[in-house]
Amino acid sequence: MTLYKPDSFDTTSISFDRVALRYDGTQDVFSDVSFELTKGSFTFLTGNSGAGKTSLLKLIYLALRPSAGDIYLFGQRTHHLKRRQLSALRRRIGIIFQEFRLLDHLSAYENAALPLRIRGQKERDYRPDVEELLRWVGLGKRLHARPATLSGGEKQRIAIARALVNKPDLLIADEPTGNVDPEMSLRLMRLFAELNKRMGTSVLMATHDKALLGSVPGSVLTLHNGLIVKQNVAEES
Amino acid sequence: MAQAAEKRRESPLLPMSDTRESALFFVIAALCFLAVLTAFSVRATYSAAEGWTANVEGELTARLSGSDAARMEEALGLIRSVDRVQTAKALTRAEAEALLQPWFGTQSLPDSLPLPSLIAITTEPGTQNIGPDIKRALAEIGLEAEIDDHAKWAENIRDMLTLIRLIAMGIVALLASIAIAVIAFATHAALLARREIVDVLHITGAEDQFIAKLFERRFSLLGFQAGLLGALLALGFAISLAFFAGRMTDWVWLLPSIALDRWALMIMLVSALLAGLVARGAARLTVTLALGRMS
Ligand SMILES: Nc1ncnc2c1ncn2[C@@H]1O[C@H](COP(=O)(O)OP(=O)(O)OP(=O)(O)O)[C@@H](O)[C@H]1O
Ligand SMILES: [Mg+2]
Repeated sequence: MTLYKPDSFDTTSISFDRVALRYDGTQDVFSDVSFELTKGSFTFLTGNSGAGKTSLLKLIYLALRPSAGDIYLFGQRTHHLKRRQLSALRRRIGIIFQEFRLLDHLSAYENAALPLRIRGQKERDYRPDVEELLRWVGLGKRLHARPATLSGGEKQRIAIARALVNKPDLLIADEPTGNVDPEMSLRLMRLFAELNKRMGTSVLMATHDKALLGSVPGSVLTLHNGLIVKQNVAEES
Repeated sequence: MAQAAEKRRESPLLPMSDTRESALFFVIAALCFLAVLTAFSVRATYSAAEGWTANVEGELTARLSGSDAARMEEALGLIRSVDRVQTAKALTRAEAEALLQPWFGTQSLPDSLPLPSLIAITTEPGTQNIGPDIKRALAEIGLEAEIDDHAKWAENIRDMLTLIRLIAMGIVALLASIAIAVIAFATHAALLARREIVDVLHITGAEDQFIAKLFERRFSLLGFQAGLLGALLALGFAISLAFFAGRMTDWVWLLPSIALDRWALMIMLVSALLAGLVARGAARLTVTLALGRMS
C-alpha cells in the first residue's frame, strides 16, 4: 500500500487515497478511488443512477467511513480524528441533501438557521442575514411555513439556504437542481459560481444534468463501474 | 411583519412531548409517590419510637436485696443525691403487687410472701445510662441493688429502627433503579423516534454534548415535574390515611403521626430533585452511548 500524502495540504480541500466503500453484506460500491480537489475548485460529480455519487459525498461529509483507504479534508487525515474534531470539520461543510432532510417541526427560517444555532450563535444576531438569504432564494413570504406545507422546489431552496448560511469552506450539493425550474436552476448555478469565485468556497456538486456541466468552469468527476475519471471541462481549471 | 417575527419564539430542536412521554411521566410520578411514602413512614416511625423510648428512658427501678430493705430511707437519700436524678420513691406493697401482676395474676399475694423492696426513680429528660452510677453509689455505702433501667428495651427499639431504616433504604434504592431503567428505556425510544433530527444535527456538525443536552434538559424537567406530583400525592395520601385511621381506631396513639413540617417538605423536594437528576443522568448516558455508535 502506498503511503500517499497530498502534495500541498493547505491547497487541497478534498483528497481520496485508494478509497473503497462497501455497505454491510454487499459488494463494493467502489474499490479503489483516488482524486484530489484543490481549494476553491468547482467540481461536478456525474455518473448513472446507482453509480455511487451520494455514497461518495457521504464519505466526504463524514456520514460514512471508508472500508479501506484514506480521506483527507482540508489537509487533515480524517481517519484518526476524535469525535469533536470530526464535528468541527463537519461545521466547515455545507450540505444540500438529495432528499433535503429538513426538520418538519421547524419553520423554513428555523431550518435555514440550524447550522448557526448549532454553533451557539444568538438568534438576534443572525436573524437579518438568514431572512435575507431566504428572500434571495425566493422564500421571503414563507419564512415561518413548515416544510410540510411547501412544494418540493421550495423545500429544496430551504435546504440550499441552510447549506450556505454559515459560509462554508466546502459546499456539497447532491442534485441541487433536481426539483427547481430551469430559471431557478440557472440562478442557483450562478449563485454557486459566485460563492466559489468571491468567497473561495470549494464546490462539489453531484448531478445527472449534462447540460449543467458546461455552465461553470471547473472539472468533472465521473463515477462508472466503481472507477472515477477526472477531466476538465473548461479552459481554466 | 418584522415585529411579528420579533415576538415569535424559537421552536425547541426536540419536538414537544408525545404519548410516550406521558407514560413515562406517570411511571416516574408513581415511583416517586412510593419513595416519598416510604420516607414518610420511616420518619413517622422514628418520631413515634422517640416518644416511646423517651418515656421509659426517664424511669428506672432499683431493687434492694432482702437484707438491705431496712436501710430504705438511707438508700432513698443517697439516690436523690445522685446527679440528674429527679425523684426517688419507695413503692408501697400495693404498688409492688401491681407491678408484679403480669407474673402472678390479679389475686393479691399472700402476706407471708416477702416482696422485694422497690424504688421508683425518675431522671431528668434525656438522661441515659445512669443505672451504673446509682448502683455504684449504693455499693459505696454497702448496699446491694439491682437496677432495671429499661436499657435493653430501648436498645431493642434502636435495633428495630436501624432495621427499618435499612429496609427503607433498600426500597428507595430499588425504586431509583427502576426509575433509571425506565427512563433509559424511554430515552432510547425517544432517540429512535427522533432519529432523523439527531442525524441531521450530527451531520451538520453538532457535538455529542449539544445533542445529549437536548434530551437531558427535556427528561430532567419531566422527571422533576413528575417527581413533584408524585410527592404531593404521597403527602395527600398520608394525611388522609392518618385522618381516617384516627377516626376509626382507639389505638391511634400507636399510629405514627404525619406532620407537615420542615422534614416532610424536605423529603418531598429532595425526591423531586432526585427524580430530575436521575432522569437527566439516564438520558445523558443513553444518548451518549447511542451517539458513540454513529460514525
Ligand atoms: N445504506 C445503504 N445500504 C446498502 N446499500 C446502499 C446504501 N445506500 C446506497 N446503497 C447502494 O450503493 C449504490 C450507490 O448508491 P448511491 O445512492 O450512492 O447512488 P447515486 O449515484 O447517488 O444514485 P442516484 O443518482 O440515483 O442518486 C447503489 O447500488 C445503492 O443500492
Ligand atoms: Mg444519489
